[in-house]
Amino acid sequence: MMGTETELTDDIDQPLRDRLKAHPKPALLWGIGLCVLLLLEGPTYLDGLLGAIGYGLGVLPGAPGAEAFASASAFFGELPHLLSRELIPNRGYYDGSSWQGTFLGLEPKYAWLIRFLLVYVYVAVLLGWLWYGYVLFRRHYRAADWTPTDDVIDRLRSHYWGLFGLAVVVFFITMAVFAPVVGPTTAEENIQGPYSHEMQYFNEDTETVETITIGEANLGSASRGSGDSNVGIWSYDDFGRFHPVGTLVSGKDLFTFLAFGARVSLFIGLGSMAIAGFIATTLALVTAYYKGVTDLIVVLTSDSVQAMPALLLVILATVVFKNHWIAEIYNGAMLFILLFALIRWPGLWRAVRGPALQVGEQEWVDAAKSYGQRPTVIMRKHMAPYILGYLLVYASLTLGGVIISVSALSFLGLGITAPTPEWGRAINIGQQYIASQSWHISLIPGILITLVVTGFNALSDGIRDAIDPQSEGAEGGATGAAAGGGGG
Amino acid sequence: MSESVIETTSHQTGETLLDVQDLKTYYEGGGLLGGDPVKAVDGVNFEISRGETFGLVGESGCGKTTLGRTLIQLETATSGTVSFDGTDITELSGDDLKEWRRNAQMVFQDPESSLNDRMTVGEIIREPLDVHDQGTASERREKVRTLLDQVGLMPEHYYRYPHQFSGGQRQRIGIARALALEPEFVVLDEPVSALDVSVQAQILNLLEDLQEEFGLTYLFIAHDLSVVRHICDRVGVMYLGNLMEVGPTEQLFQNPENPYTRALLSAIPEPDPTAQVDRITLPGSPPSPRDPPEGCPFATRCPVRIRPEDIEASDEVWDRIREFRDVIRERSRAEQSIGERLKERLGFDTALADSEEIVDEEFSDVDLPSDVRGHVEQAAAYLSDGEPDAARAYLREVFGSQCDTETPQYYDVGDRRMSFCHRHAQEHVSPGDELRQRGYDTHDG
Repeated sequence: MMGTETELTDDIDQPLRDRLKAHPKPALLWGIGLCVLLLLEGPTYLDGLLGAIGYGLGVLPGAPGAEAFASASAFFGELPHLLSRELIPNRGYYDGSSWQGTFLGLEPKYAWLIRFLLVYVYVAVLLGWLWYGYVLFRRHYRAADWTPTDDVIDRLRSHYWGLFGLAVVVFFITMAVFAPVVGPTTAEENIQGPYSHEMQYFNEDTETVETITIGEANLGSASRGSGDSNVGIWSYDDFGRFHPVGTLVSGKDLFTFLAFGARVSLFIGLGSMAIAGFIATTLALVTAYYKGVTDLIVVLTSDSVQAMPALLLVILATVVFKNHWIAEIYNGAMLFILLFALIRWPGLWRAVRGPALQVGEQEWVDAAKSYGQRPTVIMRKHMAPYILGYLLVYASLTLGGVIISVSALSFLGLGITAPTPEWGRAINIGQQYIASQSWHISLIPGILITLVVTGFNALSDGIRDAIDPQSEGAEGGATGAAAGGGGG
Repeated sequence: MSESVIETTSHQTGETLLDVQDLKTYYEGGGLLGGDPVKAVDGVNFEISRGETFGLVGESGCGKTTLGRTLIQLETATSGTVSFDGTDITELSGDDLKEWRRNAQMVFQDPESSLNDRMTVGEIIREPLDVHDQGTASERREKVRTLLDQVGLMPEHYYRYPHQFSGGQRQRIGIARALALEPEFVVLDEPVSALDVSVQAQILNLLEDLQEEFGLTYLFIAHDLSVVRHICDRVGVMYLGNLMEVGPTEQLFQNPENPYTRALLSAIPEPDPTAQVDRITLPGSPPSPRDPPEGCPFATRCPVRIRPEDIEASDEVWDRIREFRDVIRERSRAEQSIGERLKERLGFDTALADSEEIVDEEFSDVDLPSDVRGHVEQAAAYLSDGEPDAARAYLREVFGSQCDTETPQYYDVGDRRMSFCHRHAQEHVSPGDELRQRGYDTHDG
């Protein structure tokens, strides 16, 4: 949604600056508000950004500067901020009379719930503020009083199925981005290194506070279906730890597992779609512009790729690259990004090839050629905007498919390797307990996958109807046709 | 082939801006196997003087748009030269071509399709200036505002989007874009045919005013003959990739020479409902530009085609012979299916069982002279043997004339006028006389 803003500032920078100078108050107030919102969580963003750069550098041979970034990241990680476990701790023990160590002495579940909700309130306010910024820009600073994008946004705003999809996607992305905060515990201490971390709990038999490694505590909180060995939904384990959606067979917290699993799924899904989308767009523009032999070559290449049995190829690649350095990055996630990009680009290319050919025939393309515009600029400026909408639709549809594929592979034991959490693996390990009281292990991740994939599909439905109202049928009419022209 | 004729007739008043010599633009056949190219422009010669409006008329598909696009190098010429102010632009490439492009611009037919809906009007008009790096950013914006004013729009339309404009206004935007680089030569590809009649006049007047203001040279492509008569100084009439006649507008409209021009002009509706007009209705449809006739392109439909002297037949019989030849031509062009080809290879009979029927249908109700009947039956026999090509060649041999075998020359038929027809040669009756002789009304008296 903010794309419009940058698009216009690029084209007519001077006037926008003039307009800002002439009437700075709303922009200033909005900017201050944004700064406050960002500062509240500033350390998290810097920590994440620097950490990611440091990790990326660490993969390179020699790891130049990785250390510096890691330490900078750690420094920011220490700084206090709004959405942190330190500010709203949910871990503590009940000493017989009251809760010790939790936020305001509340029960752990309420403390966790407050933090969880605060994350979503923060995201909602941030997004709302960005939207308000767009509205302000439209009202005060945009040179054009109407753009074709306005119609698209207005249609999306009244498309309830699409908005539902958007909400689900935002929910999912928030969960992934704020994974360390939304979970009742962290992946590092609960999943990655349970025996390197300790916790305190109140032993009711001896009536003393004892210290135990988390690994040992996990053994006591396992969900194994039979007897009293189960920690189900919305319950505490014997060590006073709260588990919103129960525990895994190993006794690890399922919610934390899911939050970090969302990161992996999102990383693979967005990463592979970004690469595949880039390949597809580039090829679609080039083939639609040059046609002929170029088109033929790409058709043959994409047919060859599509002719390969995708699942077998992925399985083969995971085996072949088992000890390769690519497979080491993020426990194999990078390898999956590359594999899914390779497998999925022909589908995306086919979806946008038609629109690209169509827009390539428009007279404005000829007009641009006639005054000597460079082919690359013609493709970028006169053709690409008309196919990006379609790309977005098909990429979000395909993204759901990628998430399912990764889960399916993890389910088969071939996907993301343990201990990195992945939803499919949770389904796999919980499979044999599905008929027991530990049914939550498989069911919750299964429902989440379904919901997220449905969400992405609903969002793409909404985008499609917004950019191309004719596809919706019914309402069409004259306005529909005009808007359709705008949507390409 | 006809260059000598051209050189002798080029006594013009203005300085020549554009000189087109034997220009051909072929589109290569699609598919891997090639096939015959589409001969969209098949050897045309003409000149355009500085400051004049040269009209190009003809039926749809005759190649006039392709010719216009070739002149501004949107299509690559297959052969021939286009010399613009002495430079052969078909030879230009790279930076030279880009530099030259500012001299020649185009206004497109469809205002809905010629403007990128995702850009503001200002960006659209400014883009040519950006491409050629003219002046500073603010100078360019100023220039765009001036242009908007010159084409009758408001400077505050700069930040509007094309969606917010009517067809006529969009065409004004297109004109402003074409004029942004201050070109000398503008190709107007049916600039008003997509517009409302009431708006057409406004746009035409605007174009005339701009021509005067900027000293522009126009190539005006149109199929609306009354518009052409209104705006053009000289007109070229195109048929099947060839220029049939070129001449000053009034003379050409008053007194057409070429048989095709006569037929085309007779199609102009008369505003007077009581006027008796006998239209020259052309039989059949234009031949495929993949397979144009060998001699004169118009030979297959010409009402005054030269007939061989050794065959005596009535006009009606000649009509039937023409129709029969059309049918055979279609047959020989029809693609054979793979099955048919296979059968032919294996020696099966692929005869067209209906050759008798075709002959019957064409000739049953007319008296055929015996020699004509003999030739027709011979052709039918070839057809029965599954050799439509042989039948076609045979018919051309016996019924054909100079029109079927020789490409005509451009004959000088008056002041700066040229016509592409064998009948202007000394030894033949002129097209007008022959038309009257064959019973057509000719409005040149």
